[in-house]
Amino acid sequence: MSLLKVEHLHKSFKGLHVLKDVSLAIGAGERHVIIGPNGAGKTTLFNCITGTLPIDAGTVTVNGQKISGLPAYTAVRVGMSRTFQKNNLFGSLTVEENVQLAVNACKPHRFHFLKPLARYTETVEETESLLKQWDLWERRSRVVNELSYGEQRLLEVLLALASKPKILLLDEPTSGMSPAETVQTTKLIQRMPRSITLLVIEHDMEVVFSIADRITVLHHGEVFASDTPGNISGDERIKEIYFGGGTLQHAEA
Amino acid sequence: MKASAYGKHIGCIALFLLCPFILTSYGVKLASEVLIMAIFVMSLGLIIGFAGLVSLGHAAFFGLGAYAVALLGNHWENTYLLLISALVISGLAAFLSGLLFIRSSGAYFLMITLAFGQMIYAIVYKLEDLTGGADGMAVVASPNLGAGPIDSRLGFFYLTAVAFLISYYFLRLLIASPFGKSVRGIKENESRMTALGYQTRTYKLAVYTISGMLAGVAGALYAYFNQYVSPDLLYWMFSGQALIMVIVGGVGTLVGPAIGAGFFVVLQNYISSFTDRWPLIMGLIFVLIVLFGKGGIMQIAALLWQRFRPQRNSKPAQQAMAKEGNGIESVKS
Ligand SMILES: Nc1ncnc2c1ncn2[C@@H]1O[C@H](COP(=O)(O)OP(=O)(O)OP(=O)(O)O)[C@@H](O)[C@H]1O
Ligand SMILES: [Mg+2]
Repeated sequence: MSLLKVEHLHKSFKGLHVLKDVSLAIGAGERHVIIGPNGAGKTTLFNCITGTLPIDAGTVTVNGQKISGLPAYTAVRVGMSRTFQKNNLFGSLTVEENVQLAVNACKPHRFHFLKPLARYTETVEETESLLKQWDLWERRSRVVNELSYGEQRLLEVLLALASKPKILLLDEPTSGMSPAETVQTTKLIQRMPRSITLLVIEHDMEVVFSIADRITVLHHGEVFASDTPGNISGDERIKEIYFGGGTLQHAEA
Repeated sequence: MKASAYGKHIGCIALFLLCPFILTSYGVKLASEVLIMAIFVMSLGLIIGFAGLVSLGHAAFFGLGAYAVALLGNHWENTYLLLISALVISGLAAFLSGLLFIRSSGAYFLMITLAFGQMIYAIVYKLEDLTGGADGMAVVASPNLGAGPIDSRLGFFYLTAVAFLISYYFLRLLIASPFGKSVRGIKENESRMTALGYQTRTYKLAVYTISGMLAGVAGALYAYFNQYVSPDLLYWMFSGQALIMVIVGGVGTLVGPAIGAGFFVVLQNYISSFTDRWPLIMGLIFVLIVLFGKGGIMQIAALLWQRFRPQRNSKPAQQAMAKEGNGIESVKS
């Protein structure tokens, strides 16, 4: 059975029909990459799956439980978390405070108000191990706005991981990164345990093919194809719409 | 907290409690007023500086607390009961009004709290039979914590001092707690907090209610202090003054608003004895602070501290102040 199921999803913005009858089924442990030209509706699809935006029609289910129509904060409760295409961090807090907030979100003590957060050892320890694992431990006392763009991009993923999600949605995790950072991030994604099901939007074809089990091509808000990487890279029609008949490198990258 | 930090706190508290011995009798009375205002302005500073909710109707909660003591004091004597009633009534008013408008933010929040405050003002004003309308009413209850009536200025100072210390340490714990840190996170970036799984509206409603409760307690103390209440206590001008005290003291800090309250209460006391242009002067100070010292008195103090203590590197403190801004940006956006 699929862990994450999207069925007949529709979404319009004031007459602009951005998602048209999108259906997806993602199995547990799968690494599914979504590609498609700019404006295809990829980010909108993430917003609809996580409840960030209300949908017009269709359903989203996680583990058989319908989550479409529920408020956005409930996504984490069913084990789904996401990152943003545009860094969406706590800019004037430190790196450590950012991660602490993310870890704290799923703790039963998140409403407590008479004991300093710094004294909840479980939260502090989880924060420390995440920061060490993601090479940001040295940077923990820095204000996030002072980090390099690549480091901020990394923190973006780290925050989403803090809730120990079963399903992780990454929206262009490597965009704007240097080639070295892209390689590092790709490795970190590859090394994630299979207990985390991945749904990734990505433009960089090298990254796409090094992480994908399956690829879905979104075009003008419709699922154009959904297949194995081998079949996708061999499909001439996809080269035509997505790569403009050229190479497998995305024009923007 | 380390042992030395505890020592520092105990030292400060001791000095604070010894204040009356260097003040005149009038000074002791003024100090009580400062402390009551400090509790009120800190409660407003909590929602402005830590939750990003800029309210222009906070006097409603202060006034409700004051009227609770004035009205219920006609029937009940017990001070604890009256203080708790004030806290519950103001808290309830904050909770119920918050339910309606906590989802709005920025300038909308400011306008809607202003409207709400004026509505409460109008109600109190119109209920002439009950509240005395524009004339206000005398407060018959007098404070008594169980050890006899507190009728001296010194006794009342200690009552307000204890109330202030409890409020201050409570807020200190609150802002460092998981709840307080989350509220701060919501001010910083609400959409990310939601994505992380926080039910942000619940947090905002809770902090708004707590703030209203504290304002109500300050109002209750004021009723005892002044032995007379009038609708002015709920008027938007009073909310505006408290807002100015928060900004001049230092948004985003805990002591800043308390210092802002002290600064203005003392200044008003001296200035109004030889001019009646107090609102103009207060406005000018406010404009100067907004234009030249964004972090308010707290930032100016940090800069002076750095200037005169060059051997100690207080740069981080200054940076921390600088990046807080004056918090009022959230109104513009
Ligand atoms: N909140 C919104 N309001 C109105 N229109 C929107 C909104 N969000 C997205 N759109 C429009 O929907 C379309 C799809 O946008 P979306 O961001 O989902 O594309 P994308 O596939 O993620 O593109 P990119 O590769 O550039 O990130 C675009 O035409 C965009 O302008
Ligand atoms: Mg996008």
